Amino acid sequence: MKKKNIALLSFLVAWAIVLTACLFDSSDSSLSSWLSDQGLPDSYKVQMLTVNDLTPVSAKTYAGNSVFAVESTMVFGSLAGLSHDVVFDFAFIDSSFLDEMSDADSAAAAIVLFVDKEFYNAKRFPQDSLPYKETLDLKLEWILDNGQKKSFIDSVGKVSVSDWAEELKEWKTDNSADTSYEISIGAKDSLVRFDLPAAFVEDMKKAGPACHLQLRISASEAKHVYRFYGPVSNYPPEFLMRSVSDTAVKRLPPFRASNIVVYDDFCEDCLVVRGGVLESLVVEYPSEKILESLSDFYGDAFPFDEGDSNDVRQAVVLAQLNLVRDDADGLNELGLPIQVVVGSFIDSLGEEVRRMEMYKVNRKQVAESGHPNMVFYDGDSLSLQVTYGLRDLINQAKNGRNFKMMVRLGYPVLQDKDSLYADYKTEDGDSVKVFFKYFDYARYDFGKTFSQPANLKLWLATKRGGEE
Amino acid sequence: MKKFLGLILCCAAFASASMIGIDALGEEQIAGGSAAAAGRGFAGGAKTGEAEGLSVINPARMAFDTKVVFNLNFLMDMYAIELHSDSYFTSNISMPSFNLSFPMGDFGAFGVSLWQHYASSIRESVVDTLSHADARIEYKGSVYEIIPTYAVRLPYLRNISLGASVHIVMGSMVRSLTLGPNKDGVADEDMWATNNAELSDYVEGSWEIDHHPAYYSGSVQYRGRQSSFYFSYTTGYTLLNKLEYNLRFSELDTLVPSCIERKVKIPALFATGVNYRLAKRHNVMMDLQWRKWDEDVENIGHSYDMRSKTETQDDFVASIGYQRDGSSLYYDPFLDRVTYRAGAWFKNWYVADVYEVGGSVGAGFPLGRKGISLDLALQGGKRFSESEGNWEEVFFGIRLGLMGIGSWGQSRR
Repeated sequence: MKKKNIALLSFLVAWAIVLTACLFDSSDSSLSSWLSDQGLPDSYKVQMLTVNDLTPVSAKTYAGNSVFAVESTMVFGSLAGLSHDVVFDFAFIDSSFLDEMSDADSAAAAIVLFVDKEFYNAKRFPQDSLPYKETLDLKLEWILDNGQKKSFIDSVGKVSVSDWAEELKEWKTDNSADTSYEISIGAKDSLVRFDLPAAFVEDMKKAGPACHLQLRISASEAKHVYRFYGPVSNYPPEFLMRSVSDTAVKRLPPFRASNIVVYDDFCEDCLVVRGGVLESLVVEYPSEKILESLSDFYGDAFPFDEGDSNDVRQAVVLAQLNLVRDDADGLNELGLPIQVVVGSFIDSLGEEVRRMEMYKVNRKQVAESGHPNMVFYDGDSLSLQVTYGLRDLINQAKNGRNFKMMVRLGYPVLQDKDSLYADYKTEDGDSVKVFFKYFDYARYDFGKTFSQPANLKLWLATKRGGEE
Repeated sequence: MKKFLGLILCCAAFASASMIGIDALGEEQIAGGSAAAAGRGFAGGAKTGEAEGLSVINPARMAFDTKVVFNLNFLMDMYAIELHSDSYFTSNISMPSFNLSFPMGDFGAFGVSLWQHYASSIRESVVDTLSHADARIEYKGSVYEIIPTYAVRLPYLRNISLGASVHIVMGSMVRSLTLGPNKDGVADEDMWATNNAELSDYVEGSWEIDHHPAYYSGSVQYRGRQSSFYFSYTTGYTLLNKLEYNLRFSELDTLVPSCIERKVKIPALFATGVNYRLAKRHNVMMDLQWRKWDEDVENIGHSYDMRSKTETQDDFVASIGYQRDGSSLYYDPFLDRVTYRAGAWFKNWYVADVYEVGGSVGAGFPLGRKGISLDLALQGGKRFSESEGNWEEVFFGIRLGLMGIGSWGQSRR
């Protein structure tokens, strides 16, 4: 076909399209009326339902981890019935130094820890509580393995961090010694030096030529949890050994370190949760009352048991559990409010899994009275969002589960009334963080919160038609 | 041509077919929706020639072809749907079918077609803060058929041919209605919880034939000197649509879906047609398809106030058409080599109280001397509806068929 014909054809087609586009004109509202003619809505109606007087059928505290690998920061001391010990892992080979040391009368050893200035100088750290001064009763425990060659050191390095953590849970010490130390942490203090006792030095004299030393220091009677820089920082801890004179000193950083958490007492039924160590409280509310309320509200049967009994007649847009709160029995270190982290147990292909809940910010309320999900804060109520949990509970109510949730203490909150709920930079270039990056090793008693009746507020969307 | 195809593919993203029967099966593409058939008002099932190609209604016709035919059909549709004073305009681009037929001389002819038999598709949105309307509706549904066909002329009775085809059915269906919140009944202090909380009522599923691999068509065709006709019968079958219903906040944040199956009993189809040659290259033709529906069609529905069933009626298509074949001599003037077509049809939909009147004109332009031709059909008409929830539609469509004709497998004479 000639070019002319193609041009003619394209022209005709284009003209036809233009003509018809002019013929057919539509208005926006007509889709709305078409939808309603099909029986479809053009928005979903938000409905609200409050379930009052929910009382848990069970509540139980679970211990957190006992070993935490340490990187840029570490803690040492004791607070809220927990002792935070620190374990250093050293490995070195130096036969000439160890030979020299073994003969020296002036042999000595020490551990130097650098104070985490970033923490103590932080704007929101309660500066007036400094200086911390006390006499620490230190307990030293060590496991000293000796080898001959570099291959011995290499084999130590091959133990993974997680394997090491498992080993630490079963800590069996070779030897131990007690000592004491006058600690003082103030604005100007930058390091502490623990001189290690003679029993340890004697063991070191016998060591070598290749050495694997695991040194554990604990101060279970301490009044504070002290913060130091960890091995992966600009100021790593140092292990010092002196042989014949002050100039013959070997300095050695640990190649890794861990915090070990030791419980003085642990009580499952006390509803006490401690921060920073992943302790959690699992609370179970009966589902009958929730389903009854839904049944009254919709006039339908709950649980739904038609077909495969998955209930997709409605969805929970948001669910909020409102509880009472009493901070009096709690103990915290930093004086900052602490966020309560919530998770719900949901069904995943027949298995119960925990899903962490999202947190939607009620901007108006936050600006007026702060986030409602914090403890150690003004007021006497606690609101926790449990949307995923309730959504799943109602969706699969047929399997007869109760509503089960978990709470945990999260990070201290710096911006308690900032409704943005995100880290940002101000126009002056200051960065504003929502959370303090250090845990408060606090203790919080949820006894009142989870023994008194709660109310559950549901925002619902339904696929049911018509006017209710 | 590349650019034009590119344009068609781009526009395909904004597809939307007729909105009548959208919850049931959707719109049916008559006669495979081919541009050549559409040009003569969907008549011409009995029209034989050397390169007429495959017909999904009359498989026997192909036996009289002597050339390999490959054709691709495109459809651009524009609709104005209206009820009382409200009207709504939408447009659609789709590819209703492509066909390949391969004559093998005395061994008959073999062909295969991919036919989008039923399609329902719209994607529209409405946002109106005053009336709280905030909705995005999307339907994507099609019942596809792959149709292997065989046709052969009878020995001795060379004017009669028999054909049979197997319709293997597949397809999928999605309905997604995304809604914004209407906070009318919510107290001021509780409104925060629904900010940005969009919710989709989402249904998806697949199509297949219940307890059977396929359904079948058989036909017989007579080719006379002046008049030709055919009779065809297509078996009834039951379509099975397995659906998952859900409410989802996002693709990753959904409920556990509820599974429901719907069955659509599609009745047997009778078709017949006649083609009469008035004079050299001038043909008039008339076709009739008829199907008696016994049962209503269960809808995709299952939420809000949607109807659970679409009532049916006996559906038929009656069409008449005219065609002037183009000259096959390359040295004839171009306009003489063009095939001209015109036709009109009346169609009773399977949806109760819906009928359609349409007319069309078309032409087949030969491109070059290599046996490529381009069929163009312009069609227009109106769908009348008195059934609940279905609006009347005025439609205008452009169909484009790309046809390749070759003489593979034939020895030179």
